[in-house]
Amino acid sequence: MQTPDEIIHQPVRLKIMAALNTLGSSQWLEFVALRRIVDTTDGNLGAHLNTLESAHYVRIKKDFAGKKPRTRVCLSARGREAFASYVAALHAILELQTLDTDSGETGD
Amino acid sequence: MSPSAEEAAQALREIDAIKERAAGFQDYQAESAQLILWGAANSIGLVATALFEQHLLLIWVPLVLLCLVAGALLARRTNALLPGIGWRYLLILGAILFLIVALHAVFWPLSPEQGAMIAPLFVGVLYFLRGVLLRPRYLVIGGALAGLSLLSFLFAGPWFWWAMAMTWGGTLMLSGVWLGRR
Repeated sequence: MQTPDEIIHQPVRLKIMAALNTLGSSQWLEFVALRRIVDTTDGNLGAHLNTLESAHYVRIKKDFAGKKPRTRVCLSARGREAFASYVAALHAILELQTLDTDSGETGD
Repeated sequence: MSPSAEEAAQALREIDAIKERAAGFQDYQAESAQLILWGAANSIGLVATALFEQHLLLIWVPLVLLCLVAGALLARRTNALLPGIGWRYLLILGAILFLIVALHAVFWPLSPEQGAMIAPLFVGVLYFLRGVLLRPRYLVIGGALAGLSLLSFLFAGPWFWWAMAMTWGGTLMLSGVWLGRR
C-alpha cells in the first residue's frame, strides 16, 4: 500500500498544499492571502513554506508591488503530483478499511 | 508509519474545508474591489444628481462608462485567480443595465426616483439569492442593500438622493471593505 507523503502529512503543510492546489498551474498566491486561508502566523507559515520549498513542492517568488515588498507562492509540478498521490493514498487507506470491515462482517 | 483510517478521513475533510475556504476567499476578494468601485461611483453620481437633477444623463452616462472600464480592468487583474471572471463580469453588468433600460421602456413614465430604485433592488435581491445558495456574507449584503434603499425611497422624501448616496452607495462600499477584510 502507498504510504502518505510525510512532508505533506502535517496539518499546516496539508492546508498550504490544498489551498495552492485549487489554483491553476501557473497561478501564484500572495503570502498574505495564503496566511488568511491557512489561518496561521507569518512565522509558522514561512517555516512550513521553507520545508515545502526544500522538497521542491512549492516555488516562492519575492518581488515588489509598487514600493511594497511582496511574496508569492505557487505549487510546482512536482508538488501537484505529490499532492495528488497523497490524496490517492488517503483514499486507499479508507478503501482498505472498508474492505476489512466488509470481510469482517462476511466472516461473521 | 501509515495513518489510520480515521486520520485519513480527517485529512480528506481538512482538504475539502480548505478548498471551500480558498474558493470563498478568492470570491470575496474579487467582489470586494468591485463593490468599493461601484459604491464610490454611485455615491458620487447620487450626490451629483441631488445637486444637478436636470442633468441626469450627463452625470450617469460618463460615470457608468468610466466604471465599466475600471471594473473590467479590475476583473482582469483578478482573472488569474478566477478564470472566466472577465466575461462573466461584463455579462452581469450588461444584464443589470438591460433591466434598467427595459423596465424604463415597459413602465414609462417613471420618475427619476423610481428609476433609481431598479438597480439597488435588483442587485440587493441578486446578492440575497447568492447568499442563500453560496456564501452567507452575501445574504447580509443583499438584505442591507435592498432594505436600506427601500427605506430611503419610502421615507427620505426631498432628501432621497442624499439618502441613497449613503444607503446604496455607502452600503456597497462598506460591503466591499467587509469582504476584503475577510
